[in-house]
Amino acid sequence: MSVSGHPSERLVPYLRNELAAAERAAVEGHVGGCAECRAALADFAALAERLARAPEPAPSIHWGAFRAELREALARRAGSPGRPRRWSLGPLPAALAAGLAAIVLYLAMPGQNLRAPGGDQALVEDAMLASRLDLIKELDLVQRLDLLEDFDVIGRLDRLEPSSQG
Amino acid sequence: MERTDEALCRAVANREPGAFDLLVERYQERAYRIAWSVVRDREEAKDCAQEAFLRLHESAGTFAGQSKFSTWFYRILVNCCLDNRRRGRGWRRLLVWLDAADDERDEDPIERHPAPVEDPGAHVDEERQLSQLWDAVDRLSPRQRAVVLLQCREGLATKEIAEVLDMSEATVRVHLHRAFAALRRRVGARR
Repeated sequence: MSVSGHPSERLVPYLRNELAAAERAAVEGHVGGCAECRAALADFAALAERLARAPEPAPSIHWGAFRAELREALARRAGSPGRPRRWSLGPLPAALAAGLAAIVLYLAMPGQNLRAPGGDQALVEDAMLASRLDLIKELDLVQRLDLLEDFDVIGRLDRLEPSSQG
Repeated sequence: MERTDEALCRAVANREPGAFDLLVERYQERAYRIAWSVVRDREEAKDCAQEAFLRLHESAGTFAGQSKFSTWFYRILVNCCLDNRRRGRGWRRLLVWLDAADDERDEDPIERHPAPVEDPGAHVDEERQLSQLWDAVDRLSPRQRAVVLLQCREGLATKEIAEVLDMSEATVRVHLHRAFAALRRRVGARR
């Protein structure tokens, strides 16, 4: 029984014949003397019946295509050793790493007299690398450059006026 | 004799040829319909249903047979829908849908879904009532919608819905009551 004294949350299970005998008898006893619950019960029954028979408004899809896509996805998963690793870095960081390696090689070439007086070559290289760390700091941004595209313009490309210069 | 869903699921676990295809054919429409009732987007519902079948294929061996196959599978399906929402796409769709629902709240459903010209008045009235009913279902929260549709369309018992949605039977009863009360308030029963 709810706080209000009405067995509100048992009305639908009652309609579905899901209550234990004692609960069912209690609901029946209450509904017999409560016009409010009797009306709710009748309306819930009508709603449930209409929901069961009313055509579903879900948009239709092509089931042949659905199964074909599913088979392809299944084959892809079966063919791969595992799900893609989330930390896979892709080609851009590889290009950055190659660039950094080229810088180090350049600095290591004979004639690049960057040796600090009495210092260590490794320290110099570290200093050079540190000066380029801003590239790595912005790695997250570089990887998401597509987010900077103007989606507003893309969204109305078909409505843009043609340029006078062709 | 037709094999039961449970037997087919065991056959999928044993990688028996054809078993998976049979289960897909049996459940594809229900899976898509349930997914659509939660995510309310054709492409996402299709993706969720397909993902649920892929997970079924991967985990058929873990089906212990303690519940009906349908209950077990619907739980996978609903989790796919919730995962989809967690990834954000579903929520964005949901927000778009909520905005649209607000905009269209006072619009005549017949205007949005015009009946064919040749329909007689009685048919138009029935169409209008059904349209209003589905509009009201659309405006329920995703969980209330799922609870109502799992019960009224899929015929699941309260206990099974609780298992599918990973909530207690008491919570399912609360959702059911609130959903039916909201539908009654919005469209009446129209017996």
